[in-house]
Amino acid sequence: MTLKGGTSQACAACKYQRRKCHAECPLAPYFPPDQPKMFQNAHKLFGVRNILGILKNLDPDQKTEAMRSIIYQADIRDRYPVHGCLGIICQLEYRIWQTEEALRAVHPQLEMYRHHYHYQQEDVPSQLELGMAPPNNNNSNSLPLFNQTPHALPLSGSYSSINNNSTTDMDSKDNAVNSMWIQHQYATPTTNNSNSIAIQSHQPLAIQQEVIHDYDEMHPFFDTIDDRQSYIDSKEAYDSSSEESLKDTTQSIEHVAENELKSAAACFSLISINR
Amino acid sequence: MKTALQAKKAKIIKIMASSSYSNSPCAACKFLRRKCLPDCIFAPYFPPEEPQKFANVHKIFGASNVGKLLNEVMPHQREDAVNSLAYEAEARMKDPVYGCVGAISVLQRQVIRLQRELDATNADLIRYACNEAPAPATSQFGSRRDSNQGQGAVDQNSAFYFPYNNDHFGDGHE
Repeated sequence: MTLKGGTSQACAACKYQRRKCHAECPLAPYFPPDQPKMFQNAHKLFGVRNILGILKNLDPDQKTEAMRSIIYQADIRDRYPVHGCLGIICQLEYRIWQTEEALRAVHPQLEMYRHHYHYQQEDVPSQLELGMAPPNNNNSNSLPLFNQTPHALPLSGSYSSINNNSTTDMDSKDNAVNSMWIQHQYATPTTNNSNSIAIQSHQPLAIQQEVIHDYDEMHPFFDTIDDRQSYIDSKEAYDSSSEESLKDTTQSIEHVAENELKSAAACFSLISINR
Repeated sequence: MKTALQAKKAKIIKIMASSSYSNSPCAACKFLRRKCLPDCIFAPYFPPEEPQKFANVHKIFGASNVGKLLNEVMPHQREDAVNSLAYEAEARMKDPVYGCVGAISVLQRQVIRLQRELDATNADLIRYACNEAPAPATSQFGSRRDSNQGQGAVDQNSAFYFPYNNDHFGDGHE
């Protein structure tokens, strides 16, 4: 429906309600006529009266942000009619928990590597200068990475597969969240911070049960990281510990030193070097 | 006398058993001041002990919209739907501007930050495993700048993931 004598088209809200869209239409700035679905979702979830009620007491700049969040919320509810935004929140919390667990597993390894690397950097040059072999390091933890189970090393490939997995789950209408947050209860608010609602009302026990299940599913993902894992396996077979690689390096250096001495001696004596 | 009293009691019990008056109305029907019928769609999910739950939902979404939503989902999913609506209504009451979308924004940023940290840590591990020096801290980030799963555009001001193109409103209408 167009304005009388005007050139602007009616907004999606007025079009849907089949009424005249006047210049002061409060919803016109937020619902353009070329996106009717946006208004339909918002209207289905909130209703025009409730949207206007929300906007009533807000400043103009707050109104824009409020409408954005209303439109987003309505769209999510359209995609996921059962769980809506709460489903998204639960999935995000789960991803955070997963990533934090991965970091917790990986940090000690990194510290060990860092320590070993710096030890290697400090000791090897001084030992070689003296012509001495480095101490035989029987520490079996020197390269724990190769001996650990795959799930301790969540590479970006695995994240993408988890990412894909979560995307697939979100696409299958509300099936992803299911038992994880069904135990989430409507809780009486105890704080004033709306951002903490999701976290405080979180049911950790339910999440842990889901995690155990997911870890069983995660092992096949790491089998798909073929390139890196095969590299690690081949490296493991060839060089199972750093002490062996260190030994090889030292032996080659000793070999060179020995050759130099022998060739030097050959210059001054009749001793020939048979190889 | 005793017999008359007993008869009266029996009569009252009979009346109560035959009508819905034996169950107290649900929070929705109490709030709307209407008779709570046996097939009331709100009754299983809005018990009379939690009046605030329905009050919030009605204020934000409206009873009519909630009833339509519940009719569109399967009966075994209705409890979850009501709980999610109650959560969203409560969030919107506390924060009329962002509602529960504020929490989503915060969590998304946290996910991005943690994933970047994990990627950097894994990269360092690989370098150590290859017996190389680790990269300097400043150059490690950037592998996964956007964990957006393709659901929409990132609003740079608020970091919300909006499914619609928001360029057409907001700039000139404030």
